[in-house]
Amino acid sequence: MVVVSKAESEPTALKDRLLESERSFRESGYYDGISDLRSRKSDPLKYESLHTKLRSVVVSAREMARRISASPGVREVGEMVVALYTPEGDAISLSTGIMVHVHTASRFIKWMIRNGYEASPGIRPGDVFANNDAFIGTVQVPDVIDVVPIFHEEELVGWVGAVCHELEVGGVTLGGDVALAQERFAEGLFVCAEKVGENDELRRDYQIRCERNLRMPIYWILDEKAKVSACIEVREQVKALIDQIGLDYYKRATKEFIEEGRRAQLARVRQLMVPGRYRGHTFYGHVVEGKQGVLPMGNRNFLYAIPFELQVSGDGRPHLDFDGTGSWGYHSMNCTPAGMDGGLFVTLTQHMNFDGKVNDGVWLATDMNLPEGTWTNPDHHTAATATSWALLLPAFGCFQRLLSRGFLARGYKEEVFVGQVNSPMIEMGGQSQYGGIFGMALFECAAAGSGALGIKDGLDTAYVGWNPESDMGNIEIWELGMPMVYLGRSITPNSGGYGRFRGGNSFTSLWLVHRTPQLIIATSEHSSRVFDNAGMCGGYPAPTVQLHYAAHDVQLEEMIDQRKPLPHSLGIDPTITDMESLVMGRVREVEGPYLAEPLEEGDLFAHSYNGGGGYGDPIERDPASVARDVENGYVTPDTAESVYATLLNHEEGVWSVDAEATGERREAIRKARLGKAVPVRRWLEHERERVARKNLVDEVREMYRDSMRMSPRFADEFREFWNLAEDFEF
Amino acid sequence: MATYDEGVIRDLIDGQLPWPTTKAIMSRYKDDGRFGTYLSILQDRVSWSERILLPLGEHIYIVQGENGRTVKCDCGYEFGDYRENWKLNSLVHVRDTREDIEEIYPGRQACDPDWMEIREFICPGCGTLLEAEAAPPGFPIVFDFLPDLETFYREWLRQPLPEEP
Repeated sequence: MVVVSKAESEPTALKDRLLESERSFRESGYYDGISDLRSRKSDPLKYESLHTKLRSVVVSAREMARRISASPGVREVGEMVVALYTPEGDAISLSTGIMVHVHTASRFIKWMIRNGYEASPGIRPGDVFANNDAFIGTVQVPDVIDVVPIFHEEELVGWVGAVCHELEVGGVTLGGDVALAQERFAEGLFVCAEKVGENDELRRDYQIRCERNLRMPIYWILDEKAKVSACIEVREQVKALIDQIGLDYYKRATKEFIEEGRRAQLARVRQLMVPGRYRGHTFYGHVVEGKQGVLPMGNRNFLYAIPFELQVSGDGRPHLDFDGTGSWGYHSMNCTPAGMDGGLFVTLTQHMNFDGKVNDGVWLATDMNLPEGTWTNPDHHTAATATSWALLLPAFGCFQRLLSRGFLARGYKEEVFVGQVNSPMIEMGGQSQYGGIFGMALFECAAAGSGALGIKDGLDTAYVGWNPESDMGNIEIWELGMPMVYLGRSITPNSGGYGRFRGGNSFTSLWLVHRTPQLIIATSEHSSRVFDNAGMCGGYPAPTVQLHYAAHDVQLEEMIDQRKPLPHSLGIDPTITDMESLVMGRVREVEGPYLAEPLEEGDLFAHSYNGGGGYGDPIERDPASVARDVENGYVTPDTAESVYATLLNHEEGVWSVDAEATGERREAIRKARLGKAVPVRRWLEHERERVARKNLVDEVREMYRDSMRMSPRFADEFREFWNLAEDFEF
Repeated sequence: MATYDEGVIRDLIDGQLPWPTTKAIMSRYKDDGRFGTYLSILQDRVSWSERILLPLGEHIYIVQGENGRTVKCDCGYEFGDYRENWKLNSLVHVRDTREDIEEIYPGRQACDPDWMEIREFICPGCGTLLEAEAAPPGFPIVFDFLPDLETFYREWLRQPLPEEP
C-alpha cells in the first residue's frame, strides 16, 4: 500500500515505491515487474471496460474544461490535454489534444516524488501542483502543467494531470513562445513544481503573482481554473470507479494497461518495420545577427545540423540517437530531455501506437541518446527553451521519415508519412484595440501542411505534429483578441514539397493593423536559408524559408477611394509580392525572426506557414492531379511545367492536360537528367577539395566545428567520408 | 486479423484505392501477410529474375543475385552490395547555385546555396529521381537504410533467407 503525508521513515513512502518500480523494470524487463497480464486473461471484458471508461473520463474532462478557458488557443484550437497517472507518475490513459505533454507531466510528478515533496511541501487531498520548468518536466514556459493527487481514503492511488499552452507568459518578447529569450531569465513567469492550490482551490497568492507578472493574466488564470476543473472531474470519476470495481483491481489493471502498452509498441515495431540502421538528417537556420534586442552572447547566426540515427533491434526496440548534433546556445531553441520525450511520445502515439493501450508503455519500449551539452540536453539549466519546437519538430519529422522507411520496406505504404514540419508562430503584444496592454500567441499556426503519404498527397492546411487535432481557428475569434483584421488567409501556391504525392500546402495570412498605436510582433520556429524538412524517395523538401513582409504608410483609405486592388496574399509571383506590387507605401522584407520596429494602425503584415515534404519523383505525378492543383491554386502553372513536367491547356477558365506533350516532356527530362548528372564518386572528388580547403561560409564551418567537437563519432565519420587527415578540423 | 486480395493491395500501394476503402484499411488491424503479397506484386512488375528480398524505395530493391545481395532498380541497373550506400554508385545533379535552385524553388522560395544544396540522386539506367537530399555543402551523403536481413527473415518473418553465394 502506498501511504503519503506521513513520516519520511515510513517504509512504503512514495519515493521508495517509485524506486522499487524502476528497479523491477530494470531487472525483469516488465513494467513494475508485471510479467503476467492476469486481469486481462481472467476477465477481458471487465479489463477492457475499465480502460474504455478511463479514456472516456479524460477525453470528456478535456472537452468540459475547454469551455472554462478564455483562451482561443484552448477553446478554438484545443491546446490542452488531460491524462491519468499511477502513483509513481506513469501515464495510464490520455485524452486527445497536445499529447506531447503526457510524458512531460510524468517527469514532473516523478521529479516531485524524487525531491521529497511527500515531506515538504506535503502531498495532501485537494492539493494542486503546477510546473512549467522544462528542466523539471515540460517543453517550454507556455506549457503549464497542473497535477492533483487522487486519494482513496488515506492512500494516494494516482494523479491527474492537465496541460494548457498559454498564449502569454510575460517574457522579454510578448506572447507565449518568447523568441528573444537567450537565457532562462527572459522567458517569463516560471512556476517550478509549486503547490499552487489547496482544498481544490487555487491559492490567492499564486493568482496575485500571475496577475502582476503577465500581460494577459485572464488567459493563464482561466486556463488554470479549466485545468483544475478537469483534474477534479477525472479524480472524482476515478474514485467512483474504484468504489465500483475495488481498489486492488484498479491498481493491478491500470499497471497491466501500461505493460500491455509496452508490449504492443514492441509488437507494432516488429509488425511494421525491419530491424537495422536508419539514418537521416535535417537542418535549421537561425538568422538573428544584428537584430534589435539580441544580446551580445547570442548575436550571431546559427546553422544547426540534426543528424539522426535509428537502430531497430531484434526485439523491436527502437533506439534513437542524436549524436552529432550541435551544442545548446544563447537562443530560445534549446530543448530539455523532457521536451525530447514529448516529441518522441507524440510522434509514436500518432504514428505507430494509434490504437490499443496508448500510454507510457510506449515510452518504456524505446530509448534515446541525447548527448549532454547539445541542444537536446543542455548541461546548464539556465538555457532558454522558449521556442524549442524550432529544432524539436524538424528532428521528429526526420524520425517519422526513418520509421516510414521501415513501413515502406514492409509494404505498409499507407502508413508512410514524410513527416511533420515547423509551423511558424506569431507572438504579439503592445496596445490592444480596446486600449489596454495585451499579449497573445496567434495559434492559427496549428494547421500547417503535412508531409505527403506514400499513397496520397499530404494534408493541406490541416496538420501539425504537436496537436493531432490541428485547427487554425476562425478568423473572427482571432480578430477579437488582437488589433489586426484579416485582409486575407489563403493557400500558398507551391508550398507543398514536390513529389509524385506532394506535401500538403500551407497558407499565408495578411493583416491590416487596426486601432492601435503600437503592435509589437515577434515570430519564431521558422528556419532561414535552409529548408528544415525533407522529401522521401525522390520527393523534395517543402520550401520552408519564410520571409516576412510589413508595409508602412500604406494609405489604404486612399487606395480604396481610388478603387485600386488591395493585397490579400503575397500573390503567385515568386519574385515580387502583391504587397510590393500593389501597395503605395514602404514595404520591408525581413529574414529570420520578425524582430523589428513596432507596427501601428494602417500598416500591413504578412506571415506564411509551412507545407510538408513530397514523396516520389515529381515527374511521376498523375498529370490530372497537377491540373487540379493548378485549377485550385495549389500549384502555379509555371511549376506544373518546370517541376511536374505537365503541360496544360487553359481555355475558358478550365485547365486540361495535354497528355501527349506531357509524355514527351517527361521522357525528355529523364534523358536530360542523364546528360546533366555526374557519377557521384566524380562529384565527391571535386567536392572533397572544397571541404579540405574549408571553402564554406562561416556559419557552415561553425556548424561542422561544433558537431565535430560535440561528437567524436561524427568527426571520425566526417573525416573518413571525405578521406581527410586524422587531425582535420574546422 | 485482416486479409486482402492481391488486387486490393496493388491498388493500395499505387495510391489508386478509393479513399474510404483506404481509410478503412488504415483503421483496421494490419494484415500480417502484407509483405509476401507486396513482394509478389513488385516481383511481377520487374523484367529481371533476381528475387527481391526487400524494397528500399519506390524503385529500388535489395535482390538476391548471382553476385550476392545487391541493390537494383526497376530498370535493371545494379548499384552494388546492399551493405554499401547505393547512392555512391548513382548519378547526382547538385543544385548549388542560386540559378539552379530557382529552377524549382523560384524567388522567395529558394534556400541559400551557401547554406544548403539540393542533391538529386538519379538512376544511371533510367533517369528516375530516386532520392533528393537537402544538406549544407560538405555534409556527407546519408546512408538511408542498412537492414538486418538475417534477423528480419529468420526471427521476424520466420522464413528462410537464401544463402549468399
